[in-house]
Amino acid sequence: MMEVVNFILGSLVFPGLLFASLIGLLYIGIDRKVTAHMQHRIGPPIWQEFLDVGKLLSKEDITPAAAQSPVFTAAPLVALGAVVTVMLLLPINSAQPALTLVADLIVIIYLLNIPAICMMLGGYSSGSPFGAAGAGRYVVQLFSYEFIFILAIIAAVVRVGSLGLPTIVGYQAQQGWLVLDWRLLPAVIAALIAAQGKLLRVPFDIPEAHTEIVAGPLTEYSGPRLAIWRLAYDVETIVVAGFLAALFFGGPTAYLIGNIQIPGVVDFLIKTLAIVLLTTTLRNIMARLRIDQALKFFWTYVALLAIISLVLVLVVP
Amino acid sequence: MTFVVPIGPQHPALKEPEYFRFEVKGEEIVDFDVRLGYVHRGIERALQERSYLHNIYLSERICGICNVAHTTAYCQTIEQLAGIEVPDRARFIRTILCELERIHSHMLWAGIAAHEIGFDTLFMLFWRDRELVLDLKEMISGNRQTSASNTLGGVRRDVKPEYVPKILRTLEKLEKATEQYINICTSDRTILARCAGIGVLPKDDAKKLCAVGPTTRASGVDIDIRRDDPYDAYGQISFDVITEPDGDVLAKVIVRLREILESIHITRQAVKALPKGPLRAKITPKIEPNEAIGRVEAPRGELLYYAISNGTDKPERVRVRTPTYANIPSFKPMFVGGTVAEIPIVLASIDPCFACTDRVALVDSHTGKTRVLSFKELRRWKG
Repeated sequence: MMEVVNFILGSLVFPGLLFASLIGLLYIGIDRKVTAHMQHRIGPPIWQEFLDVGKLLSKEDITPAAAQSPVFTAAPLVALGAVVTVMLLLPINSAQPALTLVADLIVIIYLLNIPAICMMLGGYSSGSPFGAAGAGRYVVQLFSYEFIFILAIIAAVVRVGSLGLPTIVGYQAQQGWLVLDWRLLPAVIAALIAAQGKLLRVPFDIPEAHTEIVAGPLTEYSGPRLAIWRLAYDVETIVVAGFLAALFFGGPTAYLIGNIQIPGVVDFLIKTLAIVLLTTTLRNIMARLRIDQALKFFWTYVALLAIISLVLVLVVP
Repeated sequence: MTFVVPIGPQHPALKEPEYFRFEVKGEEIVDFDVRLGYVHRGIERALQERSYLHNIYLSERICGICNVAHTTAYCQTIEQLAGIEVPDRARFIRTILCELERIHSHMLWAGIAAHEIGFDTLFMLFWRDRELVLDLKEMISGNRQTSASNTLGGVRRDVKPEYVPKILRTLEKLEKATEQYINICTSDRTILARCAGIGVLPKDDAKKLCAVGPTTRASGVDIDIRRDDPYDAYGQISFDVITEPDGDVLAKVIVRLREILESIHITRQAVKALPKGPLRAKITPKIEPNEAIGRVEAPRGELLYYAISNGTDKPERVRVRTPTYANIPSFKPMFVGGTVAEIPIVLASIDPCFACTDRVALVDSHTGKTRVLSFKELRRWKG
């Protein structure tokens, strides 16, 4: 009985839906504010994302006749479900996540792909040429960044010798952060660039490039469904940041400052915010690439970084 | 197999409604067609219905961005019709306003171009510095945008001596900023990746299709109305006509940015050499039968006004040819062979202004078919 209550609390409140949504929306709000300041604007208040999603939820849902299908409706919900599930698998308060699995890294890699796949399905089923074009670009982009993302993860896995995220976090608590290991540094850089592609941020916001293909797969979404997409995207941002933080930056660590015990979740929040702000900076200092340029960039420079790292980890003891 | 990608009449890359039809094979564009006329406002007809003085304000509203160019061209044409000379001081003030407008227009364009390639930070920075010029325009003419300072026979407001130091100070700031932007645009890897070598308009095509303004100068064609047919004070000022040989989008960016520097140079000379004298000459409300053509180098290229007078206080006919209209045919060589992702930036690269462009559209309301007017019919309609 207790287990069931714990599971429900875990998936709906902490670290599940409620916590993830609150932090995700807040971080994107901060991201927008920081972006505004970088662009010499005042920008919206940092709770603007809450207002936006709230407004969208209360709006009428208009779906074109061509798009009315279960796939179109299910896509945002499945995407949100997937990223919230990853939240349960991430070490947030301590090395131990809310849900323990044997080889959770593989599950996380799979789950992190589901939002992308849902977006493609949503785009293809929307009946709009912009949705289809965006989805097509997303397929190409997925094949660009995903391999590199996985290679970078494998480099870390080989270094630690475990497929479990808790073990990796535990290892870092004793041996120091993996990012400080020079053999893994190229992999960290590659993973951060791949995350930029995963989160569809400039220069890789190609699938939803709004001056080219309106909003890509999201073009025909409106009202509550669009709100769920926004929420899914915001949670995905924090999930990807949290995953990288756990993998390379030591994960959540509890500190003792004076006599006050600082819980690990504070460390988690600080690290994820730092990673989100890094992606914010990157997206503000570049122009968007074309899809073929992005593909080339990932498969040459970034793939090279990841492979170098993997080889170094394998060869140099 | 090809399929059609429609861009417009409603599309986020277009700030105004116009329809572009791209025939696409995979990502490659194989054919291009355009349909204009969505923002036809009947301005030329309205020009016939109002007096010469009223028409200044109407011609100003043909284009919001290059309003000074429009009123300058209109006033020039009407002054030729009436055969009056504009005082020297007014000619210099018109020059100053025209050049300030060119700076602001090019900065506005550069911002939009940055936005089209997803570089929003650069977009905001361009527009931040554009505010400096708008402040100058407001100080001189009283308005940030629609200046309403030109009038028949001269200008309505003076550039007072106390304005001069502020103008020179601001121009210095702008010069520094522009130099930095040129530096950014020629060195940033992502900008180069999106702009270099795409949307190329070869020199021959530019000449054949009669492209005008920065669009043709970026293809190495050395034309500029300011030098070739000097109006206002341009005959008394030394300046270079900026050309770039490449013809791609990057060349169009560089031409416009370097033209900002040249405009700063011209404004400085005009402000320093401002002659003394009256601001406007007298003009009679009624003009004897006559016809005249006025040409101005607007920020987007050659702007042409043609007017006929008939002895009353209203023109018989005013015809306006805006630069965007002249540049539309040159889209085809720019697009064909390119990719879909290039469409927004190449569309933006001629700095299109569609509301100025649309003035004649004949649509049969029964069949919905559009009809092209023959030259003979146009001649008959003239009278």
